[in-house]
Amino acid sequence: MSVRALVLSGYGVNCDWETAHVLALAGAQVRRAHISDLTGAPGLAPCQTLDDQHIVVFAGGFAWGDDHGAGVLLANRLRNHLGEQMRRFLARGGLVLGICNGFQALVNFGLLPMLDGRWRRDAALAANDCGNFQDRWVELIFDPASPCVFTRGLERLEVPIRHGEGKFICGPETMAAIQAQGLAVTRYGDGQGRPAGGKWPANPNGAMDDIAGICDPSGRVFGLMPHPEAHYRLSQHPTWTAIRERARRQGRELDPMAEGPGMAIFHNAVAAAKASL
Amino acid sequence: MASRLEIGLRPQLPDPAGAGLRARARAYLRLPVEEARVLRVLTFDTALDENQLDFVRQEVFTNPVTELSSFAPLAGQIMPAFDWALWVGLKPGVRDNEGATAIEGMADALGREFGPDEAVYASRLHLLRAPRLTRAGAEALCAELLANPIIQRWRVIGAAEWDSQNGVGLIIPRVELGRRPVVERIEARSDAELMELSDRRGLFLNPADLPAIRAYFDDPRVRAERAAVGLAGPTDVELEYISQARSDHCNHNTFTGRYAYRDLATGQSVEVDNLFKSCIKTPTEQLAAQKAWVVSVLWDNAGVARLDEQYNYAVTGETHNSPSNMEAYGGAITGIVGVYRDPLGTGLGSKLAAGMWGFCVGPRDYDGDLRPLLHPRRLLDGLIDGVRDGGNKSGIPTALGTLIFDERYLGKCLVFVGAVGVMPREVAGRPSHLKAAGDGDLVIMCGGRVGADGIHGVTASSAGFSDNTPAGHVQIGDPYTQKKMHDFLLEARDEGLINFITDNGGGGLSSSIGESARSSRGAEVDLAKAPLKYQGLDPWQIWVSESQERMTVAVAPDNLPRFMSLSAKHGVESTVLGRYAATGKLKLTYGSEVCCYVDVDFLESGFPQWRFEAQWTPPALRGLVEPVLAAPIEADKLILELLASPNLCSRQWINRQFDHEVQGSSVIKPFVGPAQDVPSEAAVLLPRLDGRAGLAMAQVFLTEYGDIDTYDMVAAEIDEGLRRVTAVGGDPAQTGGMDNFCWPSIQYDPKNNPDGRYKAAQLVRACWALRDCCLTAGIPLLSGKDSMYVDGTIADRRGLRRRVSGPPTMMFTATAPVHDLAWCQTLEPKVAGDIVYVLGRTKDELGGGALYNHLGQVGLQAPKSDLAATKALCLAVHQGLKEGLLAAVCLPSRGGLALAWARMALAGGLGLELDLDALDAPDDLGLLGRLFSESTGRLVVCVDPAKAAAFEALLADFSARAVGRVTKGKSLVITSGGQAVASLAIGKMRRQFTRRFGALV
Repeated sequence: MSVRALVLSGYGVNCDWETAHVLALAGAQVRRAHISDLTGAPGLAPCQTLDDQHIVVFAGGFAWGDDHGAGVLLANRLRNHLGEQMRRFLARGGLVLGICNGFQALVNFGLLPMLDGRWRRDAALAANDCGNFQDRWVELIFDPASPCVFTRGLERLEVPIRHGEGKFICGPETMAAIQAQGLAVTRYGDGQGRPAGGKWPANPNGAMDDIAGICDPSGRVFGLMPHPEAHYRLSQHPTWTAIRERARRQGRELDPMAEGPGMAIFHNAVAAAKASL
Repeated sequence: MASRLEIGLRPQLPDPAGAGLRARARAYLRLPVEEARVLRVLTFDTALDENQLDFVRQEVFTNPVTELSSFAPLAGQIMPAFDWALWVGLKPGVRDNEGATAIEGMADALGREFGPDEAVYASRLHLLRAPRLTRAGAEALCAELLANPIIQRWRVIGAAEWDSQNGVGLIIPRVELGRRPVVERIEARSDAELMELSDRRGLFLNPADLPAIRAYFDDPRVRAERAAVGLAGPTDVELEYISQARSDHCNHNTFTGRYAYRDLATGQSVEVDNLFKSCIKTPTEQLAAQKAWVVSVLWDNAGVARLDEQYNYAVTGETHNSPSNMEAYGGAITGIVGVYRDPLGTGLGSKLAAGMWGFCVGPRDYDGDLRPLLHPRRLLDGLIDGVRDGGNKSGIPTALGTLIFDERYLGKCLVFVGAVGVMPREVAGRPSHLKAAGDGDLVIMCGGRVGADGIHGVTASSAGFSDNTPAGHVQIGDPYTQKKMHDFLLEARDEGLINFITDNGGGGLSSSIGESARSSRGAEVDLAKAPLKYQGLDPWQIWVSESQERMTVAVAPDNLPRFMSLSAKHGVESTVLGRYAATGKLKLTYGSEVCCYVDVDFLESGFPQWRFEAQWTPPALRGLVEPVLAAPIEADKLILELLASPNLCSRQWINRQFDHEVQGSSVIKPFVGPAQDVPSEAAVLLPRLDGRAGLAMAQVFLTEYGDIDTYDMVAAEIDEGLRRVTAVGGDPAQTGGMDNFCWPSIQYDPKNNPDGRYKAAQLVRACWALRDCCLTAGIPLLSGKDSMYVDGTIADRRGLRRRVSGPPTMMFTATAPVHDLAWCQTLEPKVAGDIVYVLGRTKDELGGGALYNHLGQVGLQAPKSDLAATKALCLAVHQGLKEGLLAAVCLPSRGGLALAWARMALAGGLGLELDLDALDAPDDLGLLGRLFSESTGRLVVCVDPAKAAAFEALLADFSARAVGRVTKGKSLVITSGGQAVASLAIGKMRRQFTRRFGALV
């Protein structure tokens, strides 16, 4: 039986195509599902469900234009219509991945950090300290002790951030719980594998404790601001032509279509889903 | 019941928007603000009760972690000791995106639809702690930073006058026209009477067109046919239609005009009939006939060329100068979002794959006498924000862009926007690049609603800017609505539901239905069916409104149910307005009243050609000479100054705000090198993730050469465009071009445009270069646009009003497929020890170059281009890239070899050692010429010594000189005669390169 993955689309979501492409490369059977097909829309009944899926991905974008807070209206729409399905999905051990706008939606939906199994808005992704949208590459470093199933084996990863609201914030109790349970899966690094220490631009948004992504205590719900699907192939890296040239001098020819290190997260997702089939 | 919700970040959290306000107030206006907090305000004009309001306040509009909110003023909790409260909101009728999504969010949360009388209005309240700020200062902050009176209004409230119960009060910008729509019937008995009407209604009709218009409506056949439907003379709907269609913006009267060209040096005269036909259309048709990869050109909203065996790409570009000049944010966002509708409306529709931008503005630090409506700094901020929101929220990578500063753009800025789409060669069994509305198909309008906004946009852009320019055509784009429509229409396309599609851009329905009705030979449309933003619009307003985010689609009646069902799924409004019918007539009604009844093709013939006088004085006779300069002993300072100069320094702060990687397609980004701060020669995308074929795109402006000769300018731009796409791996044999002309007025007028004849000659020469070079290099023009009237009349600090004409400007865009991403290359040296070659000859061509410009000189000898030689060189270099022989390819452009080498060192983080004596150059070419000459046809490449023999064999028939080496050292060292003429540490160069705009984020 193959792993089935569903990527949300519509209403301003815009990374659905490449996220679906990358999941397919990782071996999943992927469907792009319009939000209206899941939730229904005025005059239309829902025609798709989470019940037959193993992985649900909230892709990046600007759902509802990000007016009224990034990811907020998307989260509300899903909470209003998909709450029960999502509970069943999680109870079955389904995997949820939220990237960028998807992470913002998961936090507002209450699926992250989901401490003690409670769906609450305990954390937020606020406007970047620099005041602007930023597209820049960052280093991610990973907590090897985290329960997150998506990041197994990962230590460092280069990927871009592309957001205006990515500053992770939460109250002291939530932060204490996140840290104690190893839920701060990934942090912005300083380029040398150490935490950025809040310094811009290594930490591009001012996130507390350099947090770039968190998971729930089960490790099966994961959200992050940077875009791993934006480094699924070698030729997405900003200096790939130099990497290739240095390999050439050692007699190796790198294919620009070769897999990039961002794929690890998707391979892990498919492997984890497969393990619980 | 109306109520006002205020939402603010909790006081213990920093407020980036407030910090930005404070920093700009200080830097731009020298106004002292110690602290600022920005509150979001939502004013509800709805029938919700208190419980419902509080429910949506908590559930929809307030983040419990970061925000506070209240229906009472929040100032007491957020900043109790504020000195000023500045409220800024939109004027009635201006698109309020946040208000619209608020309604969507509430409808879903409450499970209740909202009626047409209910609305939410978004605004901002800025609280300032600024004890030293005067009321005049607070007013200035609103007028010059926070708001633009064209689209916004504001209130300045001091702490003493603050009403702590009601705050700013309830401000409801509801539009109430309070009038009944009417159709005006007109009998113009003379040309003079018609002209008077044109002036009164702001139609901008050309006096030469008047007899043709009257002749049509006086034709006995026409009168008889019109009488049968109850019409006599023209209606206001018809005259507005003619005005739109005949405007220079839509009809390109300048380019299709007749020119009496005279060379004042030789006395020779030549009649030039129709620049468009002779210099653009004919050469492109000739090339298209020879090249199978040219799929569709010259008729659709975008040109179409082949990407690979299964896919085509569509490319187009246009300008949005006039609206941006008045309201930079609104102009730029409607520009970029608007140009995206062109590929979407090309053939049966293409998926958007890339956006491009180009801004030409006055100096950012301008401190001279002139007082433009918007200071260039503010203008530029607005342009950046507009392209950022428009591109990012559309989910389309903003792949490349260019920014040029020049004082001559103070009169009117230029805002170029370009778009690329991709489409499978076949959709639903049909060739995707063809489209036709069939007899009986339904006329459907999709997307946004129609309002009074945008009326007379195209006619206003066909005139210079003055105090009387109507501001009503400035709009705010809505990428969210358009993104939904884009996704919807592509799904409908793939199901075969679309027979014809085009956008409602300039001219609105009059343009989209007028155009599609020509393919079906007629249409009948009821304007009363068009969904409106508010009631009370006259039929002519509905017909010509340029309200954004709308497409017109032809759908067969059988497919209507499925089309409407998909539309509902995507949350897009679609409305049947009428039917295509092969009657030969365009028939418009308003309910049962006929308001337009004309032959579908009456706009295509019978109108006279515009006429221009063009007089050319060659540069030497205009008094241009080469400046007399003695070469310095060392050139370090000159190179550093050029690196720091406004037009050559880093623009990283802009590109970083634009998402250039969405869709997963990024291959060559706007920046290269380990520090990712040096602009790349061209962008490459992988538009289809399941293929290996990339698309290279490059933009070129070389405006200063036009100060010498616009022929040389255009030739050099095409030469450079070809080299740029080649440098990154594009196929020079499949390179397409796009011309975007922005020209000052060329109609001679002894008082208002005394040098009009010279500017007309500049246009003719530019078009000649376009024709000659495209034919020589085999570059078909896939797309192009022209925008004339780049003139402004602005006051100086004494109140003296001056006309400021922009320099003749043409942006050339080159596109080429990269058949395999393995052939891509970038400009930075990658391995120490590599040999640096300069390909092509360096000549004494400093005229119009960056060095002279920096020294306040023009010069005489602009680079002359030999497109045949450049094409041959590019083909050879392309072969080298296929064989993996080249480790870097850089293009010397502005600043010549010196700046090319400096950029290479910066990007690679490796040193270079170069010998000027090794260049292929005339023996008597001095140091300045060797370093800074901008001769075209050249490339700089790095080659692995192990591959040097193969490379030299490949380039045996070309000028290819080894001039130096890549080194491990961290310096750029240039020698001549055994002496170092420049020795620059990379760190020092980087500081100069980034210092001007480095503090901007």
